Amino acid sequence: MRITRREFTKGTAAAAGAAAFGLASPAIAQSGPIRIGWLAALTGASSAPAIGFDRGVKFATDTINAAGGIKGRKIEIITRDTQGDPTKAVNATQEMISQLKVDAVWGPTNSGESLAITPIMARAKMPNVHPCVIDSLIDPAKFPNAFRIAPSNTQWDDAVRSYTLKILKAKKVAVIGDTTGYGVAALNASVAGLKKDGAEVVYQANIDATQPDMTPDMLRAKNAGAEAIVVWSTSTGMDARLFNTRAHMGWDVAFVGHPSMSSGEIGALIEKPTNWEKVYAVGYRSCSYDAGGKLPPHSEEFVAKLKGKIELKDTLLWWVAGGYDAVTLVAKAFQEGAGSHEDIIKYWNGVKNYPGYFGEYTFSPTEHNGYPGKDVVMSDASTAKDGTFRLAPGYA
Amino acid sequence: MLASILASGLAVGAVYALIGVTYNTMFSTSRVMSFTAGQLGMLGGVFGSLFLVRLGFPVIPALIATLACCAVVGVVTEILAVRPVLKSLDQHLYVLSTLALALMLQQLTAIEWSTEPQPFPKIFGIGSGVFDEKFWLPIVACAATLIGLEFLYRRTLIGHAFVAIAEDNFAARALGLPERNLRMASYALAAAIGGLAGFAGGQLLLAFVANGPLLNFYGFVPVALGGLGNNRGAVVGGFALGLFQQAANFLVGGIFSSVAVFVMFIIVLLAAPQGLFGSSSARRV
Amino acid sequence: MKADTRNASIAAHESEGSWRTTAMHALPFVTVFGFAAIVPMVTNDYWALIATRAAIYWLLVSGLNLVVGFAGQLAIGYVALLTLGAYTTSVLVSGNVMPLFAAFGVAAVFGAVFGVVVGLPALRLRTFYFAMSTLGFATIVTQIALAWQSVTGGGIGIAGPEFPAPFNTTTGFFYFCLGCAVLGTWMTANVAHSRFGRALIAIRDAEVATESLGISKPRMLVAIFVLAGAFAAFAGGLFATLQTYITPDAFSFDLSVLFFIAILIGGRGSILGPLLGTVILTLLPEFAAPLAAWSTFLYAVLLLAVVLVAPGGIAALLDFKNRRPLQTNRAIIPRPALLPDILSRERAGANIALRGITLSFGAVRAIDGLDLDIAPGRIHGLIGPNGSGKTTTLNVISGYYAPQSGTVSLGGTALEPGRPETRAEHGIARTFQTPRIVGEASVLQNVMVGGTIAGQGTLVESLLALPRHRRDERMLEDAAKLALRVVGLESLAPVRADRLQHSELRFLEIARALMLRPQFLMLDEPAAGLSVDEIARLGELIREISRQGVGVLLVEHHADLIFDICDQITVLNLGRTLAAGTPSEIRQHKEVVSAYLGG
Repeated sequence: MRITRREFTKGTAAAAGAAAFGLASPAIAQSGPIRIGWLAALTGASSAPAIGFDRGVKFATDTINAAGGIKGRKIEIITRDTQGDPTKAVNATQEMISQLKVDAVWGPTNSGESLAITPIMARAKMPNVHPCVIDSLIDPAKFPNAFRIAPSNTQWDDAVRSYTLKILKAKKVAVIGDTTGYGVAALNASVAGLKKDGAEVVYQANIDATQPDMTPDMLRAKNAGAEAIVVWSTSTGMDARLFNTRAHMGWDVAFVGHPSMSSGEIGALIEKPTNWEKVYAVGYRSCSYDAGGKLPPHSEEFVAKLKGKIELKDTLLWWVAGGYDAVTLVAKAFQEGAGSHEDIIKYWNGVKNYPGYFGEYTFSPTEHNGYPGKDVVMSDASTAKDGTFRLAPGYA
Repeated sequence: MLASILASGLAVGAVYALIGVTYNTMFSTSRVMSFTAGQLGMLGGVFGSLFLVRLGFPVIPALIATLACCAVVGVVTEILAVRPVLKSLDQHLYVLSTLALALMLQQLTAIEWSTEPQPFPKIFGIGSGVFDEKFWLPIVACAATLIGLEFLYRRTLIGHAFVAIAEDNFAARALGLPERNLRMASYALAAAIGGLAGFAGGQLLLAFVANGPLLNFYGFVPVALGGLGNNRGAVVGGFALGLFQQAANFLVGGIFSSVAVFVMFIIVLLAAPQGLFGSSSARRV
Repeated sequence: MKADTRNASIAAHESEGSWRTTAMHALPFVTVFGFAAIVPMVTNDYWALIATRAAIYWLLVSGLNLVVGFAGQLAIGYVALLTLGAYTTSVLVSGNVMPLFAAFGVAAVFGAVFGVVVGLPALRLRTFYFAMSTLGFATIVTQIALAWQSVTGGGIGIAGPEFPAPFNTTTGFFYFCLGCAVLGTWMTANVAHSRFGRALIAIRDAEVATESLGISKPRMLVAIFVLAGAFAAFAGGLFATLQTYITPDAFSFDLSVLFFIAILIGGRGSILGPLLGTVILTLLPEFAAPLAAWSTFLYAVLLLAVVLVAPGGIAALLDFKNRRPLQTNRAIIPRPALLPDILSRERAGANIALRGITLSFGAVRAIDGLDLDIAPGRIHGLIGPNGSGKTTTLNVISGYYAPQSGTVSLGGTALEPGRPETRAEHGIARTFQTPRIVGEASVLQNVMVGGTIAGQGTLVESLLALPRHRRDERMLEDAAKLALRVVGLESLAPVRADRLQHSELRFLEIARALMLRPQFLMLDEPAAGLSVDEIARLGELIREISRQGVGVLLVEHHADLIFDICDQITVLNLGRTLAAGTPSEIRQHKEVVSAYLGG
């Protein structure tokens, strides 16, 4: 059963009275359900990932609860729709800490929100797993409670850079980002990395994702002699316009970059299917199929479990798998006897080669980036099949 | 490069100009500037995509259905947000009522349609490169609208009635013109023009909810430049803005092109509050 | 005006029980802030956070309220100033440029400057244009925050300022913000209940009249833009601390909409209403989690509903006093005998002289070479058929129209053409053909507006309720009450002006004009809509005013009144003098009798 905020506020007066008499203790309940807060941007501008994660979260919860829960305790997910707005995320986070007193928090799912709530979570020592990419979000010294189960931006960037330089063998690179906070930050990191590895960044620009025509920037990139274009944007509309413009210009340059370039929506936005070729988006070993159409065995097992229960056509496997892994990571801590927030963090700090479906996570007290960098690979953007992609050409 | 600036500048300029004409047409019979003008441009794209892609209509029925839906939105605007506040025009309540309606339209579209850009298909498939239909379609729509409006205002009875009301509301009412019906008609017409802008510019701007506030502002700039109620001024202003914006895009690029447009807007307005082709203000006492 | 401001006027009305009414006036605020103060004690950090948020938003809204609710300037993009304050404090503190409180001071100064920059277009542009330009500013500020990465951290953002102990806990910070909110409320309430606040509302609802009273709209607006900007930027700093970390995403347009709508839901010209509006809009999404996606839609619906159904907002709902029915068969009994008390001043004895005035509107010659003299202590009637240029002449004298040729002078000094706001200092007062009053303000406040330029204190003194402000208020209130007694409206002093009958509004305008202690009084059809008895009393009042040495210019259609009280009459036709002379001379003027008097 999920508890809505409305029911909670009904009980506020009583809770308030209790708090005044000092009954509210920081120790977490030892009986009753295990309560996981889930900060999800389920509506608003970039809601697709959270919707995918949410399916994994529900599937994991249902699976665990159907099997009798953890040591007899059911898992209870308390969801707050933050709409991607940092202000709403701050409110919801404080509510989870002070009012709902959850055992751990999963999310938020985008970096803008995560930047705002990470210090608040740290102050409350609330165990937190999230999939946000910005590097500074993970810092075991400042935020000993925060753990990442997805690649960091550096890991994405490494994969994109190594594919661009080592496999595509491009020397002159153009880098394009959108004007959102993420786009600006990612572009700068990417440019710095490329330069460090000896590539020549011949053109870089942040473009407003709503700009109707991408020709100006593409022309400038072409005139500068770019051999590959690295794209950092979450906007599928902008991606599609870039692809269409490339086709109009009769240019066969490769696009490499952000996972949004492989989003299903692009299929409808491009003028013809061939416009989407030679586009390589960040993907993951666990969610990439080989030339024979086969996923890695562990992933095949997961997809088989999901069959008939969870729709994968309109989402990505890694989102569903990530949501599933987040819930099971919390559950596992309780399985191993965790009884307080500190116990959960302590358990996570000792996790080694945890066999999640999205990846094999390893944490330590000094490393909270749990996702293995080698599993970040490029996938062929236009080859989506049930939320998975074909591995980009050139990988061993 | 120059050809690209011209093609995309004139194309988006035509869309801005049509939104400017939408503002003007609403203003002419009601003395009200409505925040819904840009939303109508957005809705033109969204309805177009809905009928063409999701419901699979042929082009002509889809266009007619789009314009009809937008016209309904226009009439609703008149009834809900304009008529009730007309009696106290000097309190500027229309700014609030139309802002409220515009926000409602936008939120409704975001929730019921999508917050991501949705595709808008090719209509004729004629032309490529800088002569692609996504560039010339808005320009043709703009020209057709202007010619149509000229014909309407000069040659038809209802057009004469519009002009009469625009020039002197009280006198027109004294002549026995059905002022309220004419106002509703002009809102329907304005909304259809806004919808046409969105439909014609659909391939350029896609069916995207964020186009609403964007067109609201960029469609208002031509009105401010060309002078309120001056359609020819709006068209000149629209093309000027489109070219300026695209040139800024090509030359300085990225974030600062919108800053450049905004700075130009403020400077022109402070220097010439009536617009470059505007008329002097009315009597106050 | 709404509940709270009205309470002030009631307080004025019953002078002996004023401490009690002041307490009543403060009671709702004490209740709201009192409830807020116990939030951290009886609930948890979550509700303390929400309450902190409400306090910060209110600090911004309280300043913005003077711009939107009082001056009626539709600034819809005020999130721009919140952003500015948030980034200024964050950059200065996290870069260790200066200590925290100094950074807040700098932010407030930036906010004040930027507030004027954002507001500047309001001095030149029409309402909708101004709304659009503030909207544009809001976008630009976010874009700059994104682009100026070396300072703002771009999309990665920047850590908000951290407060020192004891304000570094949720509770401590909450009390700090609450303190700021209380201070902000007190200061804006002081302004609202000062001659500045009344003048702002008059600019909103009766702009033309404020010019004739010598109120400078640009000066007033710039002053409150400074104030509102400083408040907003200070609030921005607190916002950044509350968020702990700021990125441009946090400053969404929805936030701007929230600020703006809170004021309109609360009710224009009120302080309590927007306070409640802010609290409600901040809390609403917390109680309606499943509706998160619809919150902006709901705000918009609320806005539309308020505009269409309850333009007075919450404040009007709380305004119980003005629901009491007024006495229906009330009569206006002026007391001309009291006039010496209000009009006593040195009289210069100079004439207003018009020479060769010509004014055309397009092809229409409204005034065609007119000469006219108005002498102190005399009543000069101006009559003529519709369109003969009577009101236009009055508008030329009071500076609303600049004639194409000819001069208007007072005792040899030329009066600046086209500058109506300069007439009040010359002692030239007027009324309007259609009374221009502030319907939402009380009768007393409408009259007090008339004395705005007589005040001595500055805006800062009013802000802090310093002695000169209090002296001004007492002086204006006493003078306004006296003026109301003179015209016979004293029993209606606390009533909303829009509840008055038309004839009462005519006398109200005269009372307001008397507040200038005029040398000259110009009345534009004061008898229109008055009963026979009232016209007789009006005539008596005007005659007594002129006996005090005031020169009166009377534009009127009621021939009886004109011939009864005027010392001199000018008959206009097609913008030219058809006849001029004493009433008895005019009565015998053939052309006048045949063309106009219909004899």
